[in-house]
Amino acid sequence: MVAIYAVIAAAVYCIVGLSFALCYATGRFFDFGHAAVLAVCPYCVLFLTRTLDFPLAVALPVALALGALLGAAKELAVYRPLRVRHASPLVLLIASIGVYLVLQNSISLAFGDDTKTLAFGPVREGFAILGARITTIQVAVLIAAAIVVSGGAFLLRRTRTGTHIRAVGESPPLALSVGIDAPHVGMLSACIGSALAGLAGSLIALDVGMTPTMGMRALLMGVVAMIIGGSQSPLGISLGALLLALSGALATQLLGSQWQDPTAFFALLVFLLMRPQGVMGKLTLISNG
Amino acid sequence: MEYAAHILVVIGIYAILGLSMNLIAGFAGLLSVAQAGFYGVGAYVAAFLALQFHTPFVLNLTVSAVVAGGLGFVVGGPSLRLRGDYLVIATFSFQVIVLGVFTNWTSVTGGPMGLYGIPPVHVLGSAITSPLGFLVLVAATAAIVLWIASRLARPPFVRTPKAIREDHVLAAVRGKNVARTKLSLFVVSSAMAAVAGVLNTYYMRFIDPSSFTVMESIFIITIVIVGGAGNLYGPIVGAVVLVLLPEILRLMGIPSAAAANIRQILYGLALVACMLWRPQGLIGEYAFGREATPK
Amino acid sequence: MTSLVGMQSLSKHFNGVVALADFSCAVAEREILGLLGPNGAGKTTLFNVLTGLLAPDSGAADFKGTALIGRPVHKIANLGIARTFQNLRLIRRITVLENVLLCFKNQPGENLFNVFFRPGLCKRHEAGIREKALELLQTAGLADKANDLADNLSYGQQKLLSIVCCLAADADLLLLDEPIAGIAPEMAERILAIIADLPNQGKSAIVIEHDIDALKGIAHRMIFMDAGRKICEGAPDDVLNDPRVIEAYLD
Repeated sequence: MVAIYAVIAAAVYCIVGLSFALCYATGRFFDFGHAAVLAVCPYCVLFLTRTLDFPLAVALPVALALGALLGAAKELAVYRPLRVRHASPLVLLIASIGVYLVLQNSISLAFGDDTKTLAFGPVREGFAILGARITTIQVAVLIAAAIVVSGGAFLLRRTRTGTHIRAVGESPPLALSVGIDAPHVGMLSACIGSALAGLAGSLIALDVGMTPTMGMRALLMGVVAMIIGGSQSPLGISLGALLLALSGALATQLLGSQWQDPTAFFALLVFLLMRPQGVMGKLTLISNG
Repeated sequence: MEYAAHILVVIGIYAILGLSMNLIAGFAGLLSVAQAGFYGVGAYVAAFLALQFHTPFVLNLTVSAVVAGGLGFVVGGPSLRLRGDYLVIATFSFQVIVLGVFTNWTSVTGGPMGLYGIPPVHVLGSAITSPLGFLVLVAATAAIVLWIASRLARPPFVRTPKAIREDHVLAAVRGKNVARTKLSLFVVSSAMAAVAGVLNTYYMRFIDPSSFTVMESIFIITIVIVGGAGNLYGPIVGAVVLVLLPEILRLMGIPSAAAANIRQILYGLALVACMLWRPQGLIGEYAFGREATPK
Repeated sequence: MTSLVGMQSLSKHFNGVVALADFSCAVAEREILGLLGPNGAGKTTLFNVLTGLLAPDSGAADFKGTALIGRPVHKIANLGIARTFQNLRLIRRITVLENVLLCFKNQPGENLFNVFFRPGLCKRHEAGIREKALELLQTAGLADKANDLADNLSYGQQKLLSIVCCLAADADLLLLDEPIAGIAPEMAERILAIIADLPNQGKSAIVIEHDIDALKGIAHRMIFMDAGRKICEGAPDDVLNDPRVIEAYLD
């Protein structure tokens, strides 16, 4: 039963991790703004469904498109001008904290700080599987994660765009020399990554509700999954997410649920200090300066 | 008058936090998002001692600084080997863990409700309860902290951190013990942050975990960056500007609920604007995180 | 002559590319060794290994009888090895004088305890090294630039400064990576004069330089290396007349 819930948690971490990895591959800095995009989308869904009475099937794609647009906007308005000024990854990171503060507090202003839910109709009992109660939403989360992981793997390994993203991620000058338009590819992966973050945010909101600050925890969990996985590949992130969720479940069992996050970050800290290359091998974050 | 004194006390506490952050971010060029954690450790240790053992202010201040400094040593030792993104994530992890302890170790920290009923500071037998009286205490403490920072901010000591922030490999080739220098600064910085925490405890006479979140760390970073990283007085300027900024909102009559958010938005915009147009901050000389331009 | 630094069978590979292969040599006290070889011969790699920036795959090196391999970079520097970099590394955003001051060893003011509890000692020492640093800059002809940012010096002046830094460190062994490459002849003369004077101060040096004539003028001995190996070694004239060296430098 614990394992089932862990898998569901892992599915969410996995989507977030992959969405971040896509942006990170070409952006090459730790973008806190990503956390804000993750939160903006579910609030957009909320607005569309509650205020404008759109059906979820319409509202969700619109929200994801908005997420992609927002990803492009922060790239254009902030990050690209900074890159032109030869900013280091640390400068981009600080600017991204600013972006996060602006977006997150804008949501707070518009919607308030209380927990809101996207759930529709009466709460259903859910299915019983292996002693756990699984709701429809949670099934949707699992399916979405499966699609995103396999889709991500397909995108990165089998398509031209994916090859370009990986090329830019490995060496921007080299990518440029073989005629890849690095800024264009960066923009594209930022858009896809942002839309995926929006998807993750919306799924979290459907499952457990949302707050304006939900993005920070979600993002960190995704990044932790990426670091533990030690790879930006969909497979590595899935593995990392699974390990993270299982350790969280274990901490919940042994210490209580309130210790779940501290334990996860303690594990991360130990991981960073002992084995920065992750379980899958390659060092992926840029250790600059 | 009371109001002005209150604002100045808040500025004083944030100036100390900014000075502490400046030691690592400004002088050594290392970004840590754990400063609020050490701030909180100082606050909680002092509150715990005051409530449990009724020990005097000066003793609690000393113990808090030593505990936070020791914790800085334990945490900084291994994590300062990391740089850039990794250091940010490692310190973030520490921040989450510390906050988790504050929130969940209820028997010591009071849990989410925090600790209250902390006795006021006694000086020469009389209790300091007015903001004006406390302002004198904060000003005196801030002056001492500034003096310590000024000792570290001048040659010969400051040369090595300055070399490290620009080229840590070259600093080592020049025979400088990079790890020890970073750790010394980190330990002093942690202890200083704890001093601010102790002042906060005795001023508010109540603490809860919400004052020591990662957002608080980010605010402290903003103070240093907006004021001017690497300049001794930069954090003080930053603290003055960033504390007064929301007060202007209040004077404009914006309701306090919205003001909190608008304040954060302004801080966010200030960060982005600094990075884009004024990376050295208001009075700094060091553009944080910018690479030196090779000819 | 007693040997100051010795290297035994140093080897280093980068992803299958050989940078050093079974390289051994020794440098005596007060000796200047010229290191020749085409780009990629492993000359800079040798410097990186000696200064602790790179760990060799195998082999050993010692300095004044102390093993170097596995020792942290700053400790090696404090044993008395100083170096310059081919791509000119300086702390660019501090002044010329501060760059020189940085290089003095064992400064009491770098220690946190001394800063607060022995301020007098720190102050006296600082005043002493400041005087020495200005003297060194005076001798090198950089005195008028002492308070300029290192970044504002000309390329040649920066190269000169990086050697002054090695002198300030009072190192017994200087590893100079292309000290006169790409600078004006007049400045090159100044730098060469400083290098030639090193033995008189009891110092040794290994100098990498492509300008063979300049190197011939200062080196007591030369080593020609290629693909990480020592090809030949001996008096400058012998090495420069070696057919393998002539072949390599003919183009």
